[in-house]
Amino acid sequence: MTIGIEHYLTLGALLFCIGFFIALSKKNAIGVLIGVELMLNAVNLTLVAFSRFGSAEVALSTQVFVVFIIAVAAAEVAVGLALALVVYRNRQTISVDRTTLLRG
Amino acid sequence: MSDFGFHLAFWSLGAMTIGGASMILISRNLIHAVIWLVMSMLGVAGLYLTLSADFIAVVQVLIYVGAISVLMLFAIMLTPRAERDNSQNIKTAGPAGLVVLMVMIATMWVAIDTDWGAVREAALTEQARLIGESLIKHYILPFEIGAVLLTAALVGAIALARQDDEDAAVHAASLQAELEGEGAVDPVDVVDPPIAADASDSEATS
Amino acid sequence: MIDLTGLASVLGSTMGAWYDFRDLNNLQRLITEWIADWGPDWLASIIAGVLGTLGILGVIGPTLLILIWVERKVIARFQQRYGPNRVGPKGLLQPVADAVKLILKEQLAPRAADKLIFFLPPVLIFVPGVLIWGVLPFGPRMSVADLNVGVLFLLAVSGTTVLVIFMAGWSSNNKYALFGAMRAVAMSISYEVPMVLALLTLVVFSGTMSINGIVQWQQQEDVIFILLFPLSAIAFFFAASAELNRTPADISEAESEIVAGYHTEYSGMRFGLFYAVELGNTLVVSAFIATFFLGGWWLWGLDQWVPSWIILLVKTGAVYFLLIWTRGTLPRLRVDQLMGFCWKALVPATLLFVVVAFVERTLLVSEGWDTTVALPVMAVINIALTLGAILLFARVSRPAPLRRPARIRMAGAQIGGLRAARQVASRTEEPQLQVGGD
Repeated sequence: MTIGIEHYLTLGALLFCIGFFIALSKKNAIGVLIGVELMLNAVNLTLVAFSRFGSAEVALSTQVFVVFIIAVAAAEVAVGLALALVVYRNRQTISVDRTTLLRG
Repeated sequence: MSDFGFHLAFWSLGAMTIGGASMILISRNLIHAVIWLVMSMLGVAGLYLTLSADFIAVVQVLIYVGAISVLMLFAIMLTPRAERDNSQNIKTAGPAGLVVLMVMIATMWVAIDTDWGAVREAALTEQARLIGESLIKHYILPFEIGAVLLTAALVGAIALARQDDEDAAVHAASLQAELEGEGAVDPVDVVDPPIAADASDSEATS
Repeated sequence: MIDLTGLASVLGSTMGAWYDFRDLNNLQRLITEWIADWGPDWLASIIAGVLGTLGILGVIGPTLLILIWVERKVIARFQQRYGPNRVGPKGLLQPVADAVKLILKEQLAPRAADKLIFFLPPVLIFVPGVLIWGVLPFGPRMSVADLNVGVLFLLAVSGTTVLVIFMAGWSSNNKYALFGAMRAVAMSISYEVPMVLALLTLVVFSGTMSINGIVQWQQQEDVIFILLFPLSAIAFFFAASAELNRTPADISEAESEIVAGYHTEYSGMRFGLFYAVELGNTLVVSAFIATFFLGGWWLWGLDQWVPSWIILLVKTGAVYFLLIWTRGTLPRLRVDQLMGFCWKALVPATLLFVVVAFVERTLLVSEGWDTTVALPVMAVINIALTLGAILLFARVSRPAPLRRPARIRMAGAQIGGLRAARQVASRTEEPQLQVGGD
């Protein structure tokens, strides 16, 4: 049995679901960010798998896409962590359950 | 690359990735969680190498391991009195698990059941050059937008995280007060009173 | 004049033979081909990796032992001391005695330490320390892995050291260890920026990200990069020595401020491993400076006669001496001075040179200027720019005259932290200064 695109896609799906669960269920804002990062990584893994096994046209564009996703992920983490800092400074907690000032 | 080496690499790296991700779920300490995240990211970088995407793999290590995880650790260290614990919310964990299970079944079914076809043998060579050229030629507009986005994120993050001198003084004073045991109250209560006062006012008037 | 053509033909005929010690790659290739004849090819690739690793460790292990002695002796000379001179002739066996002592020492761990994370760092820090050697070209074909993203690989791998240092400092559960770790992390993140920008000038100008490609570009154009981009070389030198936590920038283990920084709680051989990796990183950084800016294994045709790896080692030794020199001469800087120097001086200067490199590369490639004429002119322009930048920096950052007597400044500085913050909060104009003797 050779390792084909299905293996990578399954792995990506599993990683995505773990990240999704972490993002949905963690109390800590930084924990949620970790989950989001895992999800983005799973998507990247899927894209790179398509780049390797897909047709020649998609090979390059998927990798460019991955580069963009990594750049956006870096920006997202920077802003997200800055937000966590501001929330902490005002509320002395970064638990997403206790920042309910807007009664959301 | 023969089959044996490839199998060994794929399964061990896959185990590393999924194992690291699961340990984030399990571990109670946030700093442990970040370190497991790093392990997971390194596994993903290795998987990129098995897909012969060496540029992406190196960028993954550079950005995720060298920058993002360190940034997270910094944020954890800068929020010293927040909970370090990384536990799940019991109330939402059940429904979230259900949703995630459905998503998992759906995505895996698609991944395994679909006939993806088009399997190429040769990988791209000189990826760094190709990616660079296509970034400048075909994807110049997204590239520029990405640059603007990164600049905006940089400025925004600084603007958010920046502490005015007054803020810093107030914060330091409140910390000092807490250290001296005067204000050892639940921090949430410190912020909440206005609302509580409003509520009691309305009660009094009614 | 001696006629060397006959000798050259003899040397040329040995090219590619296993006993040709100018290129050790031949021997390794022979072994792997022999294994590939009878064994599976995954065994051959594993053996190739093991041979490369053994070669690297076989070179750096003994070198480190000697270097400990050399460094201590040279620094002692700079400071007008004798240095180690008791164990063995001229103190040569001192490193061995130190190693034996470290191995025999008890391994202590704080009770409140985070056990798993406390034990991992001395081992983990070896991984980037050895991986970096993999992309160093010792000769035209003598690198364990000649990646075409070699420069990025170098930066990525050296960036992971930060995480290990943080793990060590945090898990010790010691405030000095944590201070040291945070300082180390903040500093290496900051100094990574000028490092990347300095290497970017080379990548832009030579048009390749392969490290061997950069050396070959220098060989092809008959120029070494320190002449073309002196400021990048200087910036890279400073940034690298900051990343290494060596003395002008060793705030993360400043023994007069925070006991021993992130490895305060590590005793015995665990500390020894940190020390060894730090020394090994110093060596590899000098090797990379030699490779990027001094031409690496190439020296105007001498590499035809002398084994290329000896040329590289000599250049590495020269850069290493320079690193020892700065360590022995300069006093330790403060945290804010180091950060300020990085963000206010190094980053703008290296950015300027990235732009310069872009312009010059465009002139060479798109406009098709003749390299034999253009390169010297560019070198002169860049050297002039470098000197201008350094003079400007010296002018701007020269010590300002004190406006107040030194005593009052010091008294004002004593009221720091919470008291100052409170005073600002209660809107007093100035911290009350205590003038005169108490």
